[in-house]
Amino acid sequence: MNTEKILEVKDLVVEFRTERGVVKAVNGVNFEVHKGKTLGIVGESGSGKSVSALAIMGLIPNPPGRVASGQILYRGKSLVNIDPSEMRKIRGNKIAMIFQEPMTSLNPVFTIGNQIEEVIELHQPHLSASERAAKAVDMLRLVGIPSPEKRVKEYPHQLSGGMRQRVMIAIALSCEPDILIADEPTTALDVTIQAQILELMNKLQKELGMGIILITHDLGVVAETCDHVAVMYCGQIVESADVETLFNHPSHPYTKGLMDSIPDFDSTSGHKKERLQTIEGMVPSLFNLPTGCNFQDRCSKVTEACRGMNGDPTLKPAKGDDHFVACFNPLENI
Amino acid sequence: MSEYLIEVNNLGKRFPIKGGLLGREVGAVNAVNNVSFKIKKGETLGLVGESGCGKTTLGRSILRLIEPTSGEIIFNGKNILEYNAAEMRAVRRKMQIIFQDPYASLNPRMTIGDILAEPMEIHGLHMDKTARRKRLFELLNQVQLPSDALNKYPHEFSGGQRQRICIARALAVEPEFIVCDEPVSALDVSVQAQVVNLLMDLQKELGLTYLFIAHDLKVVEYISNRVAVMYLGNMIEVAESSELYGHAKHPYTKALFSAIPHASTKGRAGRIILEGDIPSPMNPPTGCHFNPRCWNATEECRKIFPPVTNASPTHQYRCYNPIQ
Repeated sequence: MNTEKILEVKDLVVEFRTERGVVKAVNGVNFEVHKGKTLGIVGESGSGKSVSALAIMGLIPNPPGRVASGQILYRGKSLVNIDPSEMRKIRGNKIAMIFQEPMTSLNPVFTIGNQIEEVIELHQPHLSASERAAKAVDMLRLVGIPSPEKRVKEYPHQLSGGMRQRVMIAIALSCEPDILIADEPTTALDVTIQAQILELMNKLQKELGMGIILITHDLGVVAETCDHVAVMYCGQIVESADVETLFNHPSHPYTKGLMDSIPDFDSTSGHKKERLQTIEGMVPSLFNLPTGCNFQDRCSKVTEACRGMNGDPTLKPAKGDDHFVACFNPLENI
Repeated sequence: MSEYLIEVNNLGKRFPIKGGLLGREVGAVNAVNNVSFKIKKGETLGLVGESGCGKTTLGRSILRLIEPTSGEIIFNGKNILEYNAAEMRAVRRKMQIIFQDPYASLNPRMTIGDILAEPMEIHGLHMDKTARRKRLFELLNQVQLPSDALNKYPHEFSGGQRQRICIARALAVEPEFIVCDEPVSALDVSVQAQVVNLLMDLQKELGLTYLFIAHDLKVVEYISNRVAVMYLGNMIEVAESSELYGHAKHPYTKALFSAIPHASTKGRAGRIILEGDIPSPMNPPTGCHFNPRCWNATEECRKIFPPVTNASPTHQYRCYNPIQ
């Protein structure tokens, strides 16, 4: 990727102190976000994808959580242990985030317009009240809400789920951020509305040139929107590649397993219906991870090497540019 | 006896909306509107649609967990809407349901053994102690859970395992027909596949008939023999699942299927992005409910709701301007 690198995460470790001991929700994660590109982070619940995003935003609740080590660099500037007032200037202004559940992230007692103007007031104090109001209407128009002049005066409960997510996007984009972090932005929405929102995010990215981190568990969404993908499992990135490589030549058995467990439509020609491929067992508890590879107990290609005698697997280059996999027995590329 | 296990004719469910000081009826939502379909023994009918289209209401109406307001439900040749409470309880043994959220549908204070035994207790099955125990182990075995699960509580299990417990509870009374209401929506992808496989194995083994409700079209297409599409309370298209995916007649079906993101980087083209949202069911558009979002809509569509048209003996749709 020859585009401008705007965010770099290096060896990030996030710990949570709990009654049952310290747990590493994110354990040595590296990734980069480039201008105008979308990075997808995929994984199942508890794999550490949302925690990584919260760490970038400086929103890890402390205590019990903390960034234990590693670096987060926004345009070369470290965001770990940054002064809180400094961070407030970046959060929402340079790096914005949208969440999964648009109803709980909007305040039910303020109008939509109010909530957009609040962000503009905080980050662009030079604008007058009337300029702010005009900008709120512009933002709603930008995200494709019909009759925005009327909608600014409405409350969240008067809008549908898809509309609310559009409002969230409008709020996030109102300060023209460099980076938009979208944490499962369409998971709560129906497919036809999901298609609308993904289309909108694509369009806005082209217009505004921001870098996007898209966190999702849906490989379909990743395939259609991302440029680069990182697959997470138990707090670590197990495979990282550009989207074409990942889908056409997955190298980690977990990535392959995830792809095989989705029923695909392309079987319309012949009739039905082999059993779905599954990944046996379940995700191990973070309190009780095996030594060696975290995926060993569910892996079909497991060998002695995976059980910890050579240490944990680390990301190593695999076939193809920019393709890394953390596996002792990566799949031969098909 | 006919080859159909269950036959639903013109089923309707109307929820009145009360308002004002006196609680007078100010309007109504027709959550399910004149829906008819049949399911053969051993078959799976998939039911898809977006949130609020009435698929869950339909599923629950069939079991009379929600009392339908009109129509008939013929189960094993008899209209169960004419049954009284005692007769209904007897027939419920043959019709079970699995819910979406395996966290909310298991009582946290009961052990798995008690949870599975309760339906047998109610229906007076396996009353002998050793027979009961034998049956409990058999159930756990069927859903591939370890036998030490009996003395544990729901919080000790993961989402996928809890859904297995819910399936075992439904199987406890040896039903013929199971309504699966979004059984895998709350699960992670890799676990989802395990539960889908389990449901299909059980169907083969026990000859079960499913009504499989879900909004995940890929899973529905995979598990179902036939798929029905609902929009605002109406069934707008039903066909064999491969037929529906490849040759949908209704523009909404076409758009719905095209909106699914594919886990492959080939062929991103052909997406139909629908404008707007689902209209409010309190105030649906006249004529075809889909007409404000439809690119094929004509004058006719705005007047009268389209009648059922047969594309083939197994493929019906409701549209004036179907896709050729």
